[in-house]
Amino acid sequence: MKLYEYPLLLRLSRILTVVLALLVLGLITRPIEEPAWQVVKAGQPEMNLEAIEGALGQGLVVGVLGGFRAILADFLWIRTNTIWERRDRVKLDAMVRLVTTLDPRPEFFWINGSRMIAYDVPNWRIREEGGYDAVPEVRQQAIDLEQAEQAFDLVDQALDFHPDEAKLYLEKGQIYLNRLKDDANAAKWFLKASQQDDAPYFAARIYAELLRKQGLNAEAYAFLKQLHTELPNVPFAQKDIILERIRELENTLEIPFWKRFQAEREPVLETPHQAPAFDTPEPHDHEGHAH
Amino acid sequence: MKILDSYTRIRLIAGTTFLEAVRQKFFNSLLLISIALVGSSTFFQQFDFGTGELKFVTDFGFGALFFFGSILSITATTQLFFNEMENRTALTMLAKPVYKLEFLAGKFLGAHLLMLCFTLVITLVLTAILYWREMVLLEHLGPEATLDGPLIRYGDIFIFGFLQWIKFGILAAITLFVASFSNTNLYTIVVSFFMLIICQLQYIARDAYSGMEAGWERFLVQGLGLIFPNFQMFNIGDQLVFDVEKVIPASAILQIAVYGLIYTVAFILLAQLNFRRREI
Repeated sequence: MKLYEYPLLLRLSRILTVVLALLVLGLITRPIEEPAWQVVKAGQPEMNLEAIEGALGQGLVVGVLGGFRAILADFLWIRTNTIWERRDRVKLDAMVRLVTTLDPRPEFFWINGSRMIAYDVPNWRIREEGGYDAVPEVRQQAIDLEQAEQAFDLVDQALDFHPDEAKLYLEKGQIYLNRLKDDANAAKWFLKASQQDDAPYFAARIYAELLRKQGLNAEAYAFLKQLHTELPNVPFAQKDIILERIRELENTLEIPFWKRFQAEREPVLETPHQAPAFDTPEPHDHEGHAH
Repeated sequence: MKILDSYTRIRLIAGTTFLEAVRQKFFNSLLLISIALVGSSTFFQQFDFGTGELKFVTDFGFGALFFFGSILSITATTQLFFNEMENRTALTMLAKPVYKLEFLAGKFLGAHLLMLCFTLVITLVLTAILYWREMVLLEHLGPEATLDGPLIRYGDIFIFGFLQWIKFGILAAITLFVASFSNTNLYTIVVSFFMLIICQLQYIARDAYSGMEAGWERFLVQGLGLIFPNFQMFNIGDQLVFDVEKVIPASAILQIAVYGLIYTVAFILLAQLNFRRREI
């Protein structure tokens, strides 16, 4: 028997032929595939190996591949809530990341996931270490900061998918304000939130209040005057409250009477034509904030 | 004349294969399950946390089309191929002046016609459900909601269905290629499913390769990206049906379809390469 007649070699040569043929085909089709792929890829939520690994662990890979991503993410979110009830923080973090990777489109997952990580997990950790009375203040702050950073990381990822979503900027501001008691950074994020197209009116008001809280009365006064001029005359904008605050600041800053802000008298529009879809605090607020 | 004869033989085999396939219980039950699932998508909507109702129903329908379509494409092609082997009808057929390539092409076309029926039925059911839900929503929202035009681009549902059908064609051709060297049903189905997963995920490997340093790993990943067709190209559901920022241009859809057809023909030819040496 000649060397090339050995069955193993024959089989190997056939496999190599097929592989080579497919390689050549891949090269030939690349000019057709590449431009179309760039168009398709630009419109798809990114899927990475981490998500696939997570989905494999849950036995969901076929569903993930097939377009059931939305419904799988929904069911996994229900599971995430069960884990949240059990206060299993390690699994909670993994589940929030899996859900948001599977379906990054709804901001609901990002916002509620970041709230669980920033507000609930620190409470669990402090209780695990002996409770609020036993754990020193410094340690509590360190835990808060650690968890807040994880939540910020999640919100930052969300901003990659929804760069114009005011709710996400607000979420960062709320965490700085309510959990970290960091007025300066909170103000920064409330300002960013107020600059988005779908921003609720209260974002700008909170920003001004945070400036006042930091003692930056002149800046707050200038901002509120500008805000009052720019806002439409609709009930949701609450221009009367803004004017009230302007007057308070004028008194604090001892602005002479003749230099005080002159509000234009406009008729109040009954229908909030330009009002954004939401102008109330988020229903899931964990702590009150200064409106 | 020879080409015409060959065409007739392929058409006859495809017709018989298609008739045999639509009579299969597996096809009918899978079709019914898929219709039921798409029909019940409004029920599943209560588990939804973020997307709108119409978007959810669309995603769900597209998911069902891909999921059950892939199962059907692999199993039906395998069954149709091995039935001929097990019943020895292939022997009779190939004893006559029927070339093995004609036999493979006939089998493929029969299976592909079956997938066309499946895709068409699911697409029509999905369209009907979306139309019903759109009407209910518009009635609820009032006449002002219709000012910006219809909420759904129904033609896009059929574009998606068409691209999925092309993808099922590659999958059926891959299954025939695996069946051409395999001896059992089960082996063919399992290997084809693995191929499906690899083809669906190869784009992740390609993305990873672009960030790799030069070396054998990069070479290997690049090779994998070239060997397996990219099935993720056909998942354009997110960019269709609703008003989205980046609408897919017609040229891209055409390129995807051509890409799919090239791979289908290539895998049938590769199947022929193995099958012509095979003793039946």
